[in-house]
Amino acid sequence: MNQKITLSELNELIKDALLDAFPSSVWVVAEISELKENRNGHCYLELVEKKEDEIIARSRATIWSYTYRMLKPYFETTTGQLFTQGIKIMVQVSVEFHSAFGLSLNIRDIDPVYTVGDMALQRKEIVSRLQAEGVFDMNRELELPLVPQKIAVISSATAAGYQDFMNQLESNEFGFRFYVKLFQATMQGLETVPSVIRALEKVYQYEDFFDAVVIIRGGGATADLSSFDNYELAFHITQFPLPVITGIGHEKDDTIIDLVAHTRLKTPTAVAEFLINGMERFYGRLTEMEHEIVTLAQNVIDTQQKKLERIAGNLNYSVSQFIHDKNRQLTKTGNEIRQNVKSFSYKKGYEFIQLKHDLSSVVTLKFTETKNELGQKQRIFKRVVGEVLLKEKAALAQVKNVVTSNAKQMLFREFEKIRYSRNAVRLLNPENVLKRGYTLTLKDGVIIKSVDKIDVKDEIETRFSDGKIKSKITKKDRNDN
Amino acid sequence: MTTKKVSYNEAMAEIEEILDKIENEELDVDELAEKVKRVSILLKICKDKLQKTNEQVEQILKEMED
Repeated sequence: MNQKITLSELNELIKDALLDAFPSSVWVVAEISELKENRNGHCYLELVEKKEDEIIARSRATIWSYTYRMLKPYFETTTGQLFTQGIKIMVQVSVEFHSAFGLSLNIRDIDPVYTVGDMALQRKEIVSRLQAEGVFDMNRELELPLVPQKIAVISSATAAGYQDFMNQLESNEFGFRFYVKLFQATMQGLETVPSVIRALEKVYQYEDFFDAVVIIRGGGATADLSSFDNYELAFHITQFPLPVITGIGHEKDDTIIDLVAHTRLKTPTAVAEFLINGMERFYGRLTEMEHEIVTLAQNVIDTQQKKLERIAGNLNYSVSQFIHDKNRQLTKTGNEIRQNVKSFSYKKGYEFIQLKHDLSSVVTLKFTETKNELGQKQRIFKRVVGEVLLKEKAALAQVKNVVTSNAKQMLFREFEKIRYSRNAVRLLNPENVLKRGYTLTLKDGVIIKSVDKIDVKDEIETRFSDGKIKSKITKKDRNDN
Repeated sequence: MTTKKVSYNEAMAEIEEILDKIENEELDVDELAEKVKRVSILLKICKDKLQKTNEQVEQILKEMED
């Protein structure tokens, strides 16, 4: 006879057996396959274990609200990972069996370190896979345009991060103009990956228009980053033809999409700063070039000017050198001429002296000849003159004799005459005449020999031998013979 | 659509080419004036593009589907 028990009796037996088997709690590693929170704050989960994507174990689990309230934030802040389905966890559980509800694991504690390690492992696997496929660096190898000005933004319109980004960009102090288009996507939770991939596909239609894609997220839940450690999304980004810039507000390690993105920045604001700074650098470069071209042009002009000055200087030097050379040549020629003239004139002078000497000797010779000739002539002349003189002297002596004898005769005759005349003169002397009674009549001291010389009333003087008288003519009678 | 994107690059390439030429003294003084003018025009175009709204681009943005 078989012993029969009721189901409840059986369940009680199982419960007792389990209690014996698991007197205290145990640490279990599992993956969350489902997670639900009810309005009382209790959390109901389904834990699974997979082996090559096939579930080889499954169990229900519960976290009572008083535990869940502390456990969830602790987990999320420690791991940077939402406490949600799809993650692997290590939890401390007590195995519980309820007669009506069956087996369930009551989660009492969690070790986030396990999840962190697992995530890291997963990330490593994703990175390895992307690298193995040769796509890991593809987006980073794209060239960011010189000036990313047309930006496709993948974000949520309501996200604080998007607003921050837009404010930052639009209020830039340089007045730079950006052209931004928002492509809406869900940025947290399970929808993130497909939503962002859809947004990327939209942007792809305007590939030629945009310079870059910006994926930003900010504010809201700080923990949900596991979405960005996703192979599929990362692969899409590596294959995207435009550079992707991320700003997904991660404080800790980079997510996979940060690793594959062209440029990784921490926050949306940082992305805006990056774009503005890039443009500012470009603007600065433009300004530099303005100065550069002026300086360079100035340098060229200066160089040319110096070259000109040098040429002018050289020309000046050449000309003065030329003038100097010509001057020296002239001086030399002048000296030569002077030398030649001097030697010529010396030569001529010498010739002249020679000539003069010759001439003087000729003259002397001639002079001597002439002098001799003259001497000869003088002697001849003297002799002739002597002869003539002798002749004349003889003739003169003859004449003298003639003259002397003639003169003696003449003198005798004259002497006779004078002796005769002396008697006559003695007789004719007026005083003797006067003494004989004759008188002299004078008018005005002149002897009057005719009455014609005297008129009545003239005064006349009458001289006697012993005196004279004065008388006036009273009457005149002329002898008429 | 691509013209705007490349023209920064083109402008910079042209400016840098001119600057190089000037630096290497490949230009004579007559060309110099002309090239300096060209560079200043290119610089102005770039700066304007950075700061002034291009209505055509705005229009393209508006016409995009969300």
